[in-house]
Amino acid sequence: MKYQSKATAVRWLMPVLLPAVFLAHPAFAQVRAKADVTCRQAGGPLEYDCIVKLINARSSEPLSGVSLTIGADMPSMPGVHHLRPAVAIEDQERGTYRAKLVLDMHGDWALQLNLSGPLRDRIVKVLRFEGGEVGEVKAGQGRKAHGH
Amino acid sequence: MDEYLVGVLSNVGVISFVALSAYLLLLTGEITFGQQAFFAIGAYAAGIATAMWGWTLAAGLGFGALAGALSATIVGVPTLRLHGLYFAIATLAFAEMVRILFEMFRYQIEIDGEWVGPNGADGFRDIRYIFENDISGMEFMLIIYGLLTVILAGFMLLERSRLGVIFRMIGEDEVLAGLQGVSVARYRILAAAIAGALAGIGGGLYAHLTTYIEPRIFDVMLGVHSLAYGLIGGLGTALGPILGVLIDIGLLESIRALSGYRMIIFGGLVALLLIVRPRGLLDERLVHRIGVALRGGRKMRV
Amino acid sequence: MLELHRLTKHFGGVRAVDGVDLIVNPGEVLGLIGPNGSGKSTTVNLICGLFPLTSGLIMFKGEDISALPPHERVTRGIARTFQNIRLFGQLTVWQNLWVAQNSAEQRRQNPVRRWFGGGGSAREDIGRTLEFFDLAHKRDELAGNLAFGEQRRLEFARAFAAKPVLLLLDEPAAGMNAEEIDQLDARIRTLRDTGMAILLIEHHVELVMSVADRIAVLNFGQKIAEGSPAEVQNNPLVREAYLGTATAA
Repeated sequence: MKYQSKATAVRWLMPVLLPAVFLAHPAFAQVRAKADVTCRQAGGPLEYDCIVKLINARSSEPLSGVSLTIGADMPSMPGVHHLRPAVAIEDQERGTYRAKLVLDMHGDWALQLNLSGPLRDRIVKVLRFEGGEVGEVKAGQGRKAHGH
Repeated sequence: MDEYLVGVLSNVGVISFVALSAYLLLLTGEITFGQQAFFAIGAYAAGIATAMWGWTLAAGLGFGALAGALSATIVGVPTLRLHGLYFAIATLAFAEMVRILFEMFRYQIEIDGEWVGPNGADGFRDIRYIFENDISGMEFMLIIYGLLTVILAGFMLLERSRLGVIFRMIGEDEVLAGLQGVSVARYRILAAAIAGALAGIGGGLYAHLTTYIEPRIFDVMLGVHSLAYGLIGGLGTALGPILGVLIDIGLLESIRALSGYRMIIFGGLVALLLIVRPRGLLDERLVHRIGVALRGGRKMRV
Repeated sequence: MLELHRLTKHFGGVRAVDGVDLIVNPGEVLGLIGPNGSGKSTTVNLICGLFPLTSGLIMFKGEDISALPPHERVTRGIARTFQNIRLFGQLTVWQNLWVAQNSAEQRRQNPVRRWFGGGGSAREDIGRTLEFFDLAHKRDELAGNLAFGEQRRLEFARAFAAKPVLLLLDEPAAGMNAEEIDQLDARIRTLRDTGMAILLIEHHVELVMSVADRIAVLNFGQKIAEGSPAEVQNNPLVREAYLGTATAA
C-alpha cells in the first residue's frame, strides 16, 4: 500500500520531474510470471501462430486475465527490426493465450511478452524461426547472425 | 502514444547514444568499428548494478558510463599511434574480443529463487528495473530523451568551446594541430574516453529498455551502423548522427515493406552519400552557412 | 635566442642536414637560402620538432629543446608557416587564430574565458591580428573558402597569434604577386622591430636581400656561407652552388 501511493505519485510527477523517477528506489520482491511459448507457421511464410502459457513463478498456478502483447526484436540488429506488438487473446483454457506474429524475415527473434493488468512484467524468449521450424534457442546451439 | 511508437522512439533514442559516440571519434578523424564494445560494457555494467546489486537506475547508468570510459581509455592508449585502416581494424578486433569474452562471462546470483545475471551466450535476462519500479514504457522513453537532451546540450557547448575546435583540428590535420601547441595524444584519449562514456550510457539504457541482453546484440553490425549514422547525417553538428538514426530506423519502420531490404537500402545510401556528400548531409559547410544566416537575421532585427 | 649546434639529420643514406651551426638573435631576420633539396625545410622541421635529430643540439632561450615534442616547443614560443599552405579549412578564420593562442602566457588565461570563446585580451589580440593581416572582413569565413593570397596571410597571422618569440617562415612569398610581396616585406619588418627573431626561408631573392639582416646559405645539407646580404651575394661558393644546380637541371 505504501509503495502503491509512492508509485502513483512518481507517475504523476514524471513529465515534470524526470530526475525524480530517475533516482527511484531500488528493486523489491513482487509476483513474477513464467512463460512457455510455442509457435507454428500459419498462412504465409513469415506468419506464425504462437501459443503462450503463463504461470505464476511461485505457485505454478496458471495466470489468467492478463493483458498480453507480444513484441519482437532481432538480437543481431538491435533497435532496428522492431515488430509492432501483437495482442494475445486468452483461450478457454486458463492461462493460455494466442497471438499471430508477422515477421520481417527468418532468423532468431527475441519475443517480448509484455504483461499488464493484474501483473506488469516482461518475459523475453529467443526463438529461431526458419520456415516451418521454430525452436527455442539454447546456448551452444550454433547461433546464426540473421537470415538474409 | 501507442506501445509500438514508444518502442520505436525509445530505440531511436538509445541508438543515438552509440551514433554520437562514433561521431565524436569521427570529429577527431578516427574511423572506428568498435563502439559497440563500450555499448556492451555499459549494458552489462548497468544491468549488473541494478538487477544484481540493487543499485538505482541513475547509479547503474553512471556505472555503465564509467565502465565505458575506463575501458575506452585502456584501449585508447595502445591504439594512439594507429590511424585510418589500422585503427579501424584494431577497434574492430577489440570489439569482437569483448563480445567473445561476454559469451564466456558467467556471473549469477540467486534472487527470490531465480538465478539472475549474465550467463554466457545465453545472455543476461531479467534486467527488470523498470518493471520492479513501475516505470512505464512512456516514462522510460522520457528518461532516454531527457538524457539525450542533456548530452546534445553538452555537444552544443562543446562545439562552441576550444575543446570542440581542438577535436576538429586533430581530425583535419593532426601534425598541424601539434604545431599549434595542442597535445594531440592527450586530446585523442580524452575523446576516446568521452565516446566510451556515451556508448556506455546508451548500453545501460538499452539493457533496461529491452530487459534482456546477449553478446550477439553487440556484434560488428551495430558498430558499422553507428559509424554510418554520422557519415550519413553529417559531421557538421551533433544533430547529424541523430538524423542518420532517424533516416535508418524511422524511415524503415514507417515503410514496413522496405524492412527486409534494409541492408541494401542503407548500404546504397552510405555509398551514394560518400560520393555526393563525403561529410554527410549536415556537413560543416552547410552548418556554417546556416549559422551565418541565423546570425545575419539576428543582426538585422537589432 | 635560437642556437643550432652541429644539427644533423639523415634519412637512410641521405644527409638532409649535415652538421649545421646557426644562430638567430632577437630583433633579427636571418635569411636561409640554398638550392632545392639543400636542407632548408628539413632544418625548419627539425627546429619545430617534426622529426627527431640524428645528432646535434637545438638550444632555445638557453634551454635544450632537442627532445621536446612539437606542442611544447610552441608553448615556449616557436611558431611557423608552411611552404604548402596548411590551414584548418573547416574552421573559420577567427577559430584558426583562436586555437593557435597556446603560448605559456596565453595558457594562463582565466580557464572559462580560454575554453569558451576567448574574451578580454585574447579576443582583442585576435582583433588586432586580423587588422594587421588585413583579414578583419573575413573573420567568420571558413578558411577553406579564402582566396590563395588570403590563405597565405592567414597562415602568417596564425603563426603570429601564438605570440612567438621565434618565427619560422618557410617560403612565405611563394605564389604571391609583387604587391603582396611588398606587403609581406613590410609586415616582416614590423614584426622584427618588435624584437621577434625571424628565420626566413625564401626563393624570392629580392625579398631576402631586402629584408634579411644576415643570410646563411645551405648546399647539400651543409652551411657554405653566412654573412650580410652583400657578402653572400659576392661569395664564389654560393655562386657555384646556384650555377651548379642550374647546369645540372
